[in-house]
Amino acid sequence: MTATFGRFLILASVLVSTTGAFIAYAAGAKRSPEGLKWSQRFAYAFAGLMVLATGVMEYALITHDFSVQYVAHVGSTQVPLWVTIVSLWSSLEGSILFWGFILGIYIAATTWVNRNQHQDYMPFAIGTWLSCGAFFSFLIAGPANPFLSVVPAPLDGPGPNPLLQNHLLMIIHPPMLYLGYVGMTIPFGFAAAALLRGRLGQSFLRPLRASLLLPWVFLTIAIMLGGWWAYEVLGWGGYWAWDPVENASLLPWLTATAALHSAIVMERRGVLKGWTVTLIQASFLLTILGTFMTRSGVFNSVHSFTQSAIGPTILIFLAAVLLFSVLLLAFRIDSLEAEGRIESAVSREGMFLVNNLFFVVFTFTVLVGTVFPLVVEAVKGKQMSVGRPYFDAMVVPVGTALLFLLGVGPALPWGKTNRKEMLRALLPPLVTGAIALVIGYAFGVRNAWTLLTLLFGGYAAHVTFAQMWLPLRQRLKKGDAFAPALIDAQLRRGRRRFGGYVVHAGAVIVFVAIAVSSTMRTQQEVTLTRGQSTTFAGYTVTFTGTEERAEPHRQSTIAHFNISKPGGPSGGGTSGGSSGGGGTLITTMEPRMNQYAAMREPIGTPAVYSTIGRDYYLSIMNLQGEQAGILIINMPMVGWIWGAVLLMGVGGLIALIPARKRTYVVVPESAPTIDDEAIA
Amino acid sequence: MIATFFLLALLQIKAPDAAQFVGQPKGIPLSGPRLEEQTMAISHELRCPVCQGLAIGDSPSIMAANMKAQVRELLERGYTEEQILSYFEKSYGQFVLLKPKFQGVNTLVWILPIAVLAIGFVLVVSKAKKLEVAPVAPPPEEPTDDPYLAQVREMVEKP
Amino acid sequence: MNRTVLIIGIIIVAVIVFVLFAGLGKDPQHIDSPLIGKPAPPFTLKAVNTGQTIDLQSLRGKPVIVNFWATWCVPCYEEHPTLVANARQLPDVQFVGVVFNDTEDKINQFLAARGSAYPTLLDANGKTAIAYGVGGVPETYFINPSGIIVAKFEGPMDSDILRANLAKALR
Repeated sequence: MTATFGRFLILASVLVSTTGAFIAYAAGAKRSPEGLKWSQRFAYAFAGLMVLATGVMEYALITHDFSVQYVAHVGSTQVPLWVTIVSLWSSLEGSILFWGFILGIYIAATTWVNRNQHQDYMPFAIGTWLSCGAFFSFLIAGPANPFLSVVPAPLDGPGPNPLLQNHLLMIIHPPMLYLGYVGMTIPFGFAAAALLRGRLGQSFLRPLRASLLLPWVFLTIAIMLGGWWAYEVLGWGGYWAWDPVENASLLPWLTATAALHSAIVMERRGVLKGWTVTLIQASFLLTILGTFMTRSGVFNSVHSFTQSAIGPTILIFLAAVLLFSVLLLAFRIDSLEAEGRIESAVSREGMFLVNNLFFVVFTFTVLVGTVFPLVVEAVKGKQMSVGRPYFDAMVVPVGTALLFLLGVGPALPWGKTNRKEMLRALLPPLVTGAIALVIGYAFGVRNAWTLLTLLFGGYAAHVTFAQMWLPLRQRLKKGDAFAPALIDAQLRRGRRRFGGYVVHAGAVIVFVAIAVSSTMRTQQEVTLTRGQSTTFAGYTVTFTGTEERAEPHRQSTIAHFNISKPGGPSGGGTSGGSSGGGGTLITTMEPRMNQYAAMREPIGTPAVYSTIGRDYYLSIMNLQGEQAGILIINMPMVGWIWGAVLLMGVGGLIALIPARKRTYVVVPESAPTIDDEAIA
Repeated sequence: MIATFFLLALLQIKAPDAAQFVGQPKGIPLSGPRLEEQTMAISHELRCPVCQGLAIGDSPSIMAANMKAQVRELLERGYTEEQILSYFEKSYGQFVLLKPKFQGVNTLVWILPIAVLAIGFVLVVSKAKKLEVAPVAPPPEEPTDDPYLAQVREMVEKP
Repeated sequence: MNRTVLIIGIIIVAVIVFVLFAGLGKDPQHIDSPLIGKPAPPFTLKAVNTGQTIDLQSLRGKPVIVNFWATWCVPCYEEHPTLVANARQLPDVQFVGVVFNDTEDKINQFLAARGSAYPTLLDANGKTAIAYGVGGVPETYFINPSGIIVAKFEGPMDSDILRANLAKALR
């Protein structure tokens, strides 16, 4: 019954989205206001059907209705409620339904917000969105149908993948990722509308930019959450492995960030319209490529869903939208006329161009590295790998260049300047950069790239801080009182600018924290017998024993460790064999080894002790009786990465808060009378 | 018990050795912290064959641990990094090298991004120059949905 | 119409689509062995069930099936009966088991419970497995009478797979 109802809803959404797309495109071509109204109705209907279908699926999951195939696949009466709820997105079919759900909400919300505006563009945008909706509905109805019936219905199910039950981050990372990923469809629709209409006017820039910024915020946070999750769960002490699926999430973020920057030049000078539109299209296309990479089984990854018929279907859609985008660009890019020009290449505008160059190179490098093994195998039949050493080698210089631009770009004034002004803008931050460099050196940094990062980072921090508070300083100079000037200049009027610089501040911290945490990281592998201690990186670790714990889906061995400050009678010395060594107890850490019934190799869960300055990370390498072989890692500044990315997200949200709409007040010079004729 | 030991020694238990693949060690034997450093470094260049994409230095699997022990042993005997990587390549294939070798078709993965940077730089410079001298077109005439703006436009255009 | 954009765009689309289509249908977990067609790396290891020492070189003249496994490997349990049965049926083929990261006691216990029909060798530190490019267990190598590896199979085998690969060693 539930399964049938679900299937009906999905089929209905295929019909509604396809019909709606046709109507919307026709309405756009004919410039019909009535057609637009109907397009809007179809958009709302599509959203409603998707929300309902998702509701039905969640209901089936929570009530353990195993007659529905997806529930039989991932449901289980043995798992906690939160696991049941999130199992909606734990496996392939459910996750595509979730995609449709998020897409529906985005389409409905954007349509509603713009229901009385931009009537020139909206039909084309709605048509494009509903076409994407149609594809995903088709996927859900066909190759990835979660609503198939299972007869006879089993009594219980296996539960979702055990790895996904390990951590609470499972609750938030996928929804964030989908909100970012799926959200890229909206600016794509707007960009397609502009191209189809043959123009991109000033008034349309704001919704275009806002529709790009919102998913960008979600995607930024989602990528960070993914790294944090890998770090807390996987046990090798890292947060980014350049795994194909990780790269898939990064690629659209890179082009979207580039687009956000070129959009600023577009708004200020009216140039780079075609380029910005291209970047926005690329961001959407990369999300489709990304979902292909994750679901097709073509790539060897920790994250891959299992292979199925869905791969070729997504590939066909990708080819279709690629062709659509290329043709649209080829035929219409020239009609997006530049309304202005830039006065000088060596200016803030010029730096935006260089910024885009490096983002594009970054994107290209990650893309090439990810697909290269596939190409070689296809062409030469040989297998080879492109792994972390490659990406680190190529990406670090590009990242450093971007950090450099983060400082120099905002320091340069807009437009043409003379040499003296330029030096006055560019030289003072060097002092802060030098200070940062010296501080780092004093703390023991010797790696050349990290030192360079500190220099550029200090420079960029100075520039960012100076620019961030510029409106306030200008007001104070004019004589305004502090508090009102603060609120008015920074938050009421200068929000976009302020938000942007908050993002930059977060970005500088991220660069520096990544550099420091990767190059200043130290580790030690040691085997301890019960009662034995070792001292490493300022803490004494004492192995106090193991504990077995059996859970329905896994068998865990938990190893207990006391972490204390070294000192006290038997503190200090490695593997010296002191029992109860060390001084005051700071905390205990409990890494574990989990053997899941479904997996070949055991999976370890590390224990992480985070403080402001560093993370102390304990991972079990092997456990044999009374002996524990552990890996201890000391990583400075890791926690700063998560916090700083969150700050970037906050900055984006600040910039998103819409300004109050400007109203025009028409005041005639004098009230018109019957006798008046020529009023100037 | 002792007899068994003697017997075992006499029978010469021998697993296959790196020497058969890459010859004699060409470097100096390592020990102490330098040995650990190099083991770590090389372990991050070799791919664990059963884990999805992880390096043997990062993987807890048994095969990875064996491979790491083998790396350490070879370093102790004085094998160079090149020899060690070559040994693993001979038994596992190029698949096991996380850093693509700069030979044959693999050079492309190293060269292409640099080529894109160079070409891109040329394009950016030429675009910037073009934008400097671009003729300024008037903003496109757009129908507006703002009634006040429409009213203003009307009044401005009235003769 | 902007010719440059069109040409560059079409090229990009073609490349991407070609690359991804080519990737479909390939199993990303499977690794091609570079040792196929090359001489099998020699080893001399002790058999824990018969007490003898087996030298691979001495087995030339017969096709040899080298099966890497371990008592902690769950799929190996499924495969074991197939190997034992086929070993008994094919006296002209030398079956050899190689176990790594395991203890003699556990191996003997396993064999006592499930039967053994051929020598099972202990590769104490896994060096033999590394030399053969073994990734996981079970993995099986088929060596022809001249000592050349002609095939490798990853995962548990059934009789059909075993015979099919063995045929390559008999050519």
